[in-house]
Amino acid sequence: MRVNPNYTPTILTDLWQQQAQEQNAIQELATGRRVNVPSDDPAAAAADVQNHALQSQVDQYLNNTNGLEGMLQTADSTLSSVVTALNQAISLGVQGSNGSLSSSNLQAIAEQVQSIQSQVVQYANASYQGSYLFAGTVNQAPPFTLDSTQPSGVRYNGNTGVNNVEIAQGRSIQTNLPGSQIFQGAGGDVMGSLQQLVTALQSGNTNSIGAATTQLGTALNYVSQQRVFYGSAVSQLNANQSYLQQEQVSLQTQDTSLVGADMAAAATDLSRSQTAQNATLAALAQIIPQSLLNYLK
Amino acid sequence: MGSLSSSMWLAAQALEADQGALDATSNNIANQNTPGYSRELAIFTEAAPTIEGNITYGNGVELQQIQSVRDQVLQLRIGEENQQQSSAQTQYGALQQVQNLFSSPTQGIGADFTAFFNNISQLSTDPASLAARQGVLTAAQNLASDFHSTEHNLDSLQSGLNQTVAQNVIQINSLTQQIAQLNEKVGQLQRLGQDPGTLGDQETQLIQQLSQLTNVNQIQTENGLNLTTGNGTPLVVGGQSFALQTTAGPSGMTDISAQGQDITSSLQGGQLGGNLQIRDTVIPGLLTQIDNLASQFATSINSAQASGFDLKGNAGQPLFSDTSGPGAASNLTVAITDTSLIAASSDGTPGSNGNLANLLAVQTQALPSGANPLDTYSSLVSQTGNLTAQAQADVTASTSSLNQLNSQLGAESGVNLDEETTNLMNYQRAYQAAARVVSTVDSLTQSVLDMGSGVTAAP
Repeated sequence: MRVNPNYTPTILTDLWQQQAQEQNAIQELATGRRVNVPSDDPAAAAADVQNHALQSQVDQYLNNTNGLEGMLQTADSTLSSVVTALNQAISLGVQGSNGSLSSSNLQAIAEQVQSIQSQVVQYANASYQGSYLFAGTVNQAPPFTLDSTQPSGVRYNGNTGVNNVEIAQGRSIQTNLPGSQIFQGAGGDVMGSLQQLVTALQSGNTNSIGAATTQLGTALNYVSQQRVFYGSAVSQLNANQSYLQQEQVSLQTQDTSLVGADMAAAATDLSRSQTAQNATLAALAQIIPQSLLNYLK
Repeated sequence: MGSLSSSMWLAAQALEADQGALDATSNNIANQNTPGYSRELAIFTEAAPTIEGNITYGNGVELQQIQSVRDQVLQLRIGEENQQQSSAQTQYGALQQVQNLFSSPTQGIGADFTAFFNNISQLSTDPASLAARQGVLTAAQNLASDFHSTEHNLDSLQSGLNQTVAQNVIQINSLTQQIAQLNEKVGQLQRLGQDPGTLGDQETQLIQQLSQLTNVNQIQTENGLNLTTGNGTPLVVGGQSFALQTTAGPSGMTDISAQGQDITSSLQGGQLGGNLQIRDTVIPGLLTQIDNLASQFATSINSAQASGFDLKGNAGQPLFSDTSGPGAASNLTVAITDTSLIAASSDGTPGSNGNLANLLAVQTQALPSGANPLDTYSSLVSQTGNLTAQAQADVTASTSSLNQLNSQLGAESGVNLDEETTNLMNYQRAYQAAARVVSTVDSLTQSVLDMGSGVTAAP
């Protein structure tokens, strides 16, 4: 049987194949990725696009969570200051309602309550990064302005709008309470009660001072209840943060199993293709000089 | 009747035959590395005998012919495999460039989609923030510019292939012209019953080169070989070749015609077929999908914009320019530069983020083409990946079967130096022996001549 005397093209193809395998293994080791171009594994490459999108989405949810946490904490501590101020006003009211004070003393207390009133208005106009916290969605201007023509002594410029922000896939959180609900709610009117206390102190009527103080107490309770919204939102964000961090880890793990290189396998492939290549080259070097002509003299 | 002169003549004939065989052998050795060369065999036959009475005298040897060892069927298979391999190789080369446009999970259109929606999500935490609004616009611009560059790269790849198509046609025409010239001579030799030898080798070699360019059908007729394209358009008939023409088509792509008829879509196989496949099917298919994605995405975002209000309380304007049809991706531009025009608000107040939910919904809602933007993009990734992997597998498979066929042909037609050396020694010895016959007959003749002179010279 005749065999093909010109075997070098076949062996060259084999050598190229071995070199391609070698390069492939080196690339896997260098990049740490099994899939470097889509044709390496089309399905995994497409899934990898989705995985990276999810990873960067989770990063964004974390950004949202961290940003919102700052804002909600500011709102929470502002309301805590409001509570402190209201407690001061209540003790002033109790002082004024015991009937033993002179009218000039009452006037002095009225002035103190007035200053608390303007302090509370300042708190209600608190802002975070340029946006007013208690303005509903009209948050580019201070929501409360002192206005003696109003029965409550202040005018609310905001609205009742609330915003929701997505903090995880399919999970949103409400990020604000409108100022009108916190400070002028049906369950307790902070602004109105303060104004009434000022008016009662100025009039010197012990009964109305007492009534106004009681009303302020109700308003204080109500504000404290509203504060719970911010407190629980912050703890929800904290829980969300650790959820998202876990999600990040699991997405990264998924990514590694999707397109990551099996380093041990790649290293084995590399040494195997090198061995094969050496063997082929050695065989070629052995065979090529062999011919009958070598033996004829 | 045997005679010294006939022995002399027999030996001379043997010398001549052996010389011819030595010629064939040395031609084999000389051409051992010539591509397409088929080894030649010296065919000896006994000369017609002389019969005298009861005795039959052999009349020595004749060198009947020098025959090239070929296998037509194997050659046909190699031609077929050649056109498949070149086609796959060409497609693989082009597809590698195509898939590079879709190979990064952290860059390009897919990552831009995610970045765009992330910026909208960021804006939802502070809808009046001008910095966050600028972030959305910048992400939109990045997306538009990656749509541009992806489409631009596919376009320039396509026009590069278009130039190669024109070159392929020039190569085909030059090859068919050369083949026609050889074909005429080969046909003449064959009609005379002679082996076409080297001319046949050259013709076969040129046909293989032609097969690397396009699918060729070979029909052996009485008047020689006829070559046609895969769909039957004649390329070579006997000694005549038919050139293919190129004309600029309506879309700026080169069309190929034969005798005034457009045959572009029927050409398959070889480099030309591979180039046409990518130029006319693969790239236009991808471009259509990218154009649809760009225009449907822009439409969805614009209609979400329209359902809300901008920072100043006005109804939302389109974020992207209206774009559709071929080139939609290249024409996609961000229509607004004023960050306040992003319609975040659902009620006209500057602090409302209600409409951003509508914009974000575009991320997960199916476009009219059936999938959401990122899914549509990742399907492009897997499509280009699959096409490239398929072409790669085709190259590997056809290369290995081509190697096998070539090795089979080599076993049949290749020059084996050991064999040639052995033949060389055989013919050398035969030549030496025949020469010895000549000198022996010569000395016998001398003896015959000496017979008379010996008698007369005796003292």
